[in-house]
Amino acid sequence: FFFFFFLSRRTPLHFYTPPKMPTPTTFWRLAGMTYMNYVTRATHSLRSALKEPAKTKAFANSAISYNRSTFDNAVQGAKKEVTKLGQAGK
Amino acid sequence: FFSQIIPFLVMIASRAPRAFLRAASALPSSSSLSPASTARPQHRNMATEKQLFQQIQSTKNIMKITSSMKMVSAAKLKGDENRLYAARPYNKWATTLTGEPSPVPEGADIADAEFLDIPDNSLIVPLTSDKGLCGGVNSFISRGVRGMCAKLDSTGRKSSVVVVGDKGRSQMRRTVGEKIVSAATEVQTPYNFDLAAAITSEVFAAGRDYAAVVIVYNEFVNSATYKQVYKVITPMSSTGPDESMVEYEFEPDVKNEVIEDLSEYLLCSHLFHSLMEAAASEQSARMAAMENATKNAGEMVDSLTLQYNRARQARITTELIEIISGASAIEG
Repeated sequence: FFFFFFLSRRTPLHFYTPPKMPTPTTFWRLAGMTYMNYVTRATHSLRSALKEPAKTKAFANSAISYNRSTFDNAVQGAKKEVTKLGQAGK
Repeated sequence: FFSQIIPFLVMIASRAPRAFLRAASALPSSSSLSPASTARPQHRNMATEKQLFQQIQSTKNIMKITSSMKMVSAAKLKGDENRLYAARPYNKWATTLTGEPSPVPEGADIADAEFLDIPDNSLIVPLTSDKGLCGGVNSFISRGVRGMCAKLDSTGRKSSVVVVGDKGRSQMRRTVGEKIVSAATEVQTPYNFDLAAAITSEVFAAGRDYAAVVIVYNEFVNSATYKQVYKVITPMSSTGPDESMVEYEFEPDVKNEVIEDLSEYLLCSHLFHSLMEAAASEQSARMAAMENATKNAGEMVDSLTLQYNRARQARITTELIEIISGASAIEG
């Protein structure tokens, strides 16, 4: 069965490519992320692959910390602390 | 009798001048015994001397603090300058797409600019600091944004503001408070690209339908000079008569998505570069302010020391006069 299966294939398995989508959309945008969120997460993944001490130095450059408050008719609302990119803008 | 008592009196006067003077002042003298003549100017001079001495000490302490703050700012400026020079080449592509920042003419104030290149329905993002004692960096930006909003309003152009920095928030809350949408305060330093990405998210949270984002910040020229500039960043279009980058082919062939990604990255890149410039400008202004404060404190110490010495010498002279007058009165 396996002999006839491999002989009958016109395309070798290791050259198999899926058919092109007519209008492909990025998966992260479908998940609700912005491009900056995607790029930052990719950067975080790359930094995680580093070895010490470069890893600690790289992560020191990725700290986020500020307080966000919205205004309504010149009245400032409560402050919210933002320490992760996912909390920004929410 | 007098020839025997005079040396004794002189001895007492030398050992206990105050007690002697009190006793001598009780004797009738040629001057009238009005309350003014029996006033105690030496006590007033001594209190003034003490106050002057305390003022000198406190001013010297302040001078030490401002001097150390100047050295700390100089060290931080070096780090901020290095980060800025490393970040500038990474923003060249963004400047190619949007153009150079609009500077203010030499010697002019940003509040006097015309802002003709800012369209209707713009979002203004001023970059200010959280800490004070940094000269005029924050007040120039606040005044510039106030002038910008006034000029836009006078020509019928709408605008909103997203403030970065506590000092700018407190000043602009009074002047353009009704236009502020949100504020980011207590921002951690040193700035980095992830922080710029977070602030980009805040800008997008204020609304995606703005015709332009205008970043107002201080551009670092050198350690003694900075100037206020603003950047107008308009979103790129993938269709229509204003289609961007028509000479390029896009892979994958979804130009609208790639243009949207590029717009986000363009804004983030501009924000990051502006944050670097603003940080270096803030440190240079703080260093200059602390240097001036130290110099002024030193001048104040010098003038107070002169006053203190004059007061001290006047007191000593008064005491000598009173001793000699007392001795003369006894002899006479």
